[in-house]
Amino acid sequence: MARVVLASALSRWLPAAAGRPSQEVVLEVPGASLDEALDGVFARFPNLRGYVLDEHGAVRHHVAVFVDGTAIADKRRPVQALRADSEIYVMQALSGG
Amino acid sequence: MSDTLLVSTRKGLFVLERRKDAWNIARHVFPGDNIALTAVDSRDGTWYAVLDLGHFGNKLQRSTDRGATWAECAVPVYAEGDQVITGDGKPPVPAVLRLIWSLEAGGVDQPGWLWAGTIPGGLFRSDDCGASWQMVRSLWDMPERKQWFGGGFDQPGIHSICIDPRDPRRICVGISTAGIWGSDNGGATWSQRAQGMRAAYMPAERAHDPNVQDVHHLVQCRSQPDVFWVQHHNGVFRNTGGDWQEIENVPPSVFGFAVAVHPRDGNTAWFVPAIKDERRIPVDGKVVVARTRDGGKSFDVLRNGLPQHDAYDLVLRHALAIDASGDRLAFGSSTGGVWTSEDQGDHWSQLDARLPPVYAVTFAD
Repeated sequence: MARVVLASALSRWLPAAAGRPSQEVVLEVPGASLDEALDGVFARFPNLRGYVLDEHGAVRHHVAVFVDGTAIADKRRPVQALRADSEIYVMQALSGG
Repeated sequence: MSDTLLVSTRKGLFVLERRKDAWNIARHVFPGDNIALTAVDSRDGTWYAVLDLGHFGNKLQRSTDRGATWAECAVPVYAEGDQVITGDGKPPVPAVLRLIWSLEAGGVDQPGWLWAGTIPGGLFRSDDCGASWQMVRSLWDMPERKQWFGGGFDQPGIHSICIDPRDPRRICVGISTAGIWGSDNGGATWSQRAQGMRAAYMPAERAHDPNVQDVHHLVQCRSQPDVFWVQHHNGVFRNTGGDWQEIENVPPSVFGFAVAVHPRDGNTAWFVPAIKDERRIPVDGKVVVARTRDGGKSFDVLRNGLPQHDAYDLVLRHALAIDASGDRLAFGSSTGGVWTSEDQGDHWSQLDARLPPVYAVTFAD
């Protein structure tokens, strides 16, 4: 299972938070690759897809995704392989605020 | 008259209410978030807010209880293969929703219908109060669309949508930069409607090409729907049928973004002029409103209650509004000023607040 951490800037848009300040959210999802893990997140929170990815599946310009401490190499195709215990951080880029 | 004013700002939506002859901030919604636009559906009282989140893209929220609670809707999205191809030499790029730049309710006999104009140039329709959206492909697929280009933004966008009160199948959209496109059959087919406009910024041989006209804002008189006004990049234009007529005598400048027309009198319209494009600040540091009551033959320069020295307020295209009565006006500025008038602009009062930059003002019924 991958461990996915959603930064508070993102988790505040989960339906339960309704735009109010929120805490970092941590999820355990299955997936051998990044897209599978993200699909697991979006299955649980459908509205988050449009916050993290644009309509063509690319990670948004001002969103950063780190896998095991390293920023992903290809934001247009976020499909890289994961380890069994990978940790994924989904956060706002420091640009674009 | 409308006693509720929605002020969309860089740092949230401010709901203003008028009580005891004064406007006050009743509620600050989405504090800190960039609110590009707010729309009020007068058919059912629903409020819609466009959030332009710096990190997470454009979002649409709706409220059915006058802003007390909000729920997220869907946003228009572009399909795989849709490309932004422009007429200003930029390389083609995949189309991605950049901004919901205009949002209008459909006709009274079309409950739940919404129209959304976007950057990079797609028009979308929802039949279910924003739960889902369909692109109006008939407009996107016009060959002329590949000649559109951005004005202010990198990519073209639809900032104005006028639905004819007599027949909601008659639609006109204002585009920066692509003139005005209209449909008489609910969006099945489209034609260019900016004939008569003049683009001073183009090479002379293209100056009268309707498809290059940088319309800043398009409005339609509710009771006289054959009358349209446009604030254009280099002038003011009026249409009462046929070609557009240029109005060259707007004081103190023909440049600006905003225009409002009286809901029952197509001869009466308001503008907030500024020094032309390379500066975009008030003339002589004075905020004024230009009003005509005779279809543009003459103008009053309204300044009573407005800053008359050292003012650098710019009023953007959606930041001037008139209520259904035709007497009450409001505008907000890029430096956070908000002014209101109860008498068609003869006298203005400034809201006692220092707001974030104002992008749009909207009266709620």
